[in-house]
Order: sequence, then structure tokens, then C-alpha cells
Amino acid sequence: MHELSICQALLAQVTAIASARGADAIEHIVLEVGPLSGVDAGLLARAFEVARAGSSAADATLSIETPQVTVSCLSCGARSQTPPNRLLCDACGGYRTRIVAGDELNLRRVELRLRESLPASAVA
Amino acid sequence: MCKTCGCSVTPGSGAAVDVLQNLLAANDRVAKHNRQHFDAHGVLAINLMSSPGAGKTALLEATIAAMRNQYRIAVIEGDLETENDAVRIRAQGVPAVQITTGGGCHLDAELVHQALHELPLAGLDLLFIENVGNLVCPASFDLGQHLNVTLLSVTEGDDKPAKYPVIFRASDLVVLSKTDLLGVMEDFEPARAEAALAALGGGTPMIRTAARRAPMLDPWLDWLAQRLAAPRAVSSSRRPLIALGG
Repeated sequence: MHELSICQALLAQVTAIASARGADAIEHIVLEVGPLSGVDAGLLARAFEVARAGSSAADATLSIETPQVTVSCLSCGARSQTPPNRLLCDACGGYRTRIVAGDELNLRRVELRLRESLPASAVA
Repeated sequence: MCKTCGCSVTPGSGAAVDVLQNLLAANDRVAKHNRQHFDAHGVLAINLMSSPGAGKTALLEATIAAMRNQYRIAVIEGDLETENDAVRIRAQGVPAVQITTGGGCHLDAELVHQALHELPLAGLDLLFIENVGNLVCPASFDLGQHLNVTLLSVTEGDDKPAKYPVIFRASDLVVLSKTDLLGVMEDFEPARAEAALAALGGGTPMIRTAARRAPMLDPWLDWLAQRLAAPRAVSSSRRPLIALGG
């Protein structure tokens, strides 16, 4: 679902970070995509191969972390890891739960190659 | 470590930047802007979602007929093609703006933002945004609404909440529609649909409605009236408001 347009948003974010730091290439990108984000990590990785062409991320590798759905129980406070469609508390069976992990669609980390002429200390 | 941005600069040629930014941040910025517009004018904005044909427009027609003398209502309609739904809403005597997406399978904040400029927000109490019929994509795109309402019709499977957890979990209310047909839909068990919804956690309520043959709307109208009267608890994202204590 929209993995290509999400890649375009991703590239806009990482190329902005790269320019701000005087980098000429992006080497590695780390994303966090949860099962309840509405985005499929495998499709996103494949779309990235297409979307990155011609950008400063053209040779970048991509890792996608897929945190398991974790909920915090509003009744007893326990945290439970759950399947995406059964978000109940393991400890008390309660259904009033808050998602604390598993719905992320985040850029977590960008590894850059700086321009040779800039000393490392100039990167701010 | 670099004092300015926290990146770890490797002497020589590399830099690693730790980020925590949602990939849909651009849409979320516009959604927040839309929400500010709604709040500035005291408008309650509700995003109405469902699969195609579950009865969103029919429910809105019946709702407007019942409430238009009490509340000032408008609708933003979303479809790939045609103005059919906006025409139906206007026939109920309230403003409707039609967004035709062409191929887009969901509304986004920018499309809604453009539609807002065609509405007299200052004179409204309640705005429905009828999303494109789709149980997958609309769930992920914040439009700036205060509440998400998802319809499930008795002519669909009663296990839909288990199959589409993202949209049902993100909903503040699930409306069971076309309940006047329960007598002929032998395979649909409302209790099973309620159980599948309850298993998603969050305590999302389910309200039964019938918009047409033998209308049953009071629980839905009561829910709306309560939300219109309540101080606006604004959801900062598409995620549901947890109704603590009910």
C-alpha cells in the first residue's frame, strides 16, 4: 500500500539530512516499521530499490526493524507482546490496552559519507 | 559526539545521524494545520470510513435529516470518480464538497485542506469527511479529524475486525450498519463482530444502526450529540482516543 510514495517521502527526509550535513552520499538507512503501521516492510524494501535511483541514496543499503506489537494494560499496568489482531493483556486478560510498540513508521538512523574536502569537525 | 545534532562523527569520512521521524510527517503537518482550522471555528470533524457499499452515504443522509435543525452540518465527500455522493448530501440541504481522487484510494490531509477552503467553517458545528471506500489505506492517513468512525455492514463478514486490525483499532466508534437485514443474513453474528473488535483492545464501542427500511438511529445520534457537547478532546493523530471509564 503506497510503499513507493512512502519511499519518496523517505528520500526527501534523508537527502535533506545529508545536505544539511554536507554529505555527498547516503550509505545506510535504518527504518522502523511496525505490523500495525499499515505498511509492508518487504514491499517497502523493494520499492526503495526503485525509488533511490538518481538520488544521493542511490547506493544506500536499507535495514528495516520490525518491532513486535507491544501493549501496556490500562487496568493492571503489565506490558504484553501480542499478535496484531489480538491486543489483550497477557497478565489480566484486560482489553483496555495502549499500544507502546508496533505501529511505527519511522526513520531511525542515516549513515552518511561526508565530502572529502570537509574536515569531520565541521559537520554540525 | 557532535554537540549540535548528536550524530557520531567518525574521523575521516562518515557520520551517523540518529533520527526519530515519522515517514508520513509531511501529511501529519498538514493534518495538524487542518485540525487547528477546525478548532479555531469550533467544528467537530469526523472521518467516516468503511469498505465500499457499507452504507456511509446512506447513514449521512439519515443523520442529516435527523439533525439539521439542531446542528449546522457539512460533508466532504471522497471518491475516485463522480459527484454522486455530494449530490445526495446537498439534496439534504447541507453543503457538500466532492473530492475526486482519480486513482487515489484514500483521502490525505492536503486534499482535505483544499476542500476546507470551499466550506463556510465559521458557520458549522459538525463536519463529516466521508473517506474513499476502503478498509486498508485510509487508516494510515491523518486528515486532521477529531474522531474516526468505521462502518461494518451485516452484509460483510463478522470477522472483519480481525482481518483489518489497523482500521478497526484506529476507530473511536464502529457502526454496525444495515441491521434491518439481520433476519436474512444468517451467517452474520453481531456478537462475533463485537468479540473480534474487543480483541483489538482499546475498548472501541460498536453501535447498531439501520438507515433505510426500518430506521434505527437513536444510539448513533446520541453518540454524536454527546461528542458535540463534550469539550473537544483533540486526538493528536489518527489513533483513537482511549475512552477511560466508558
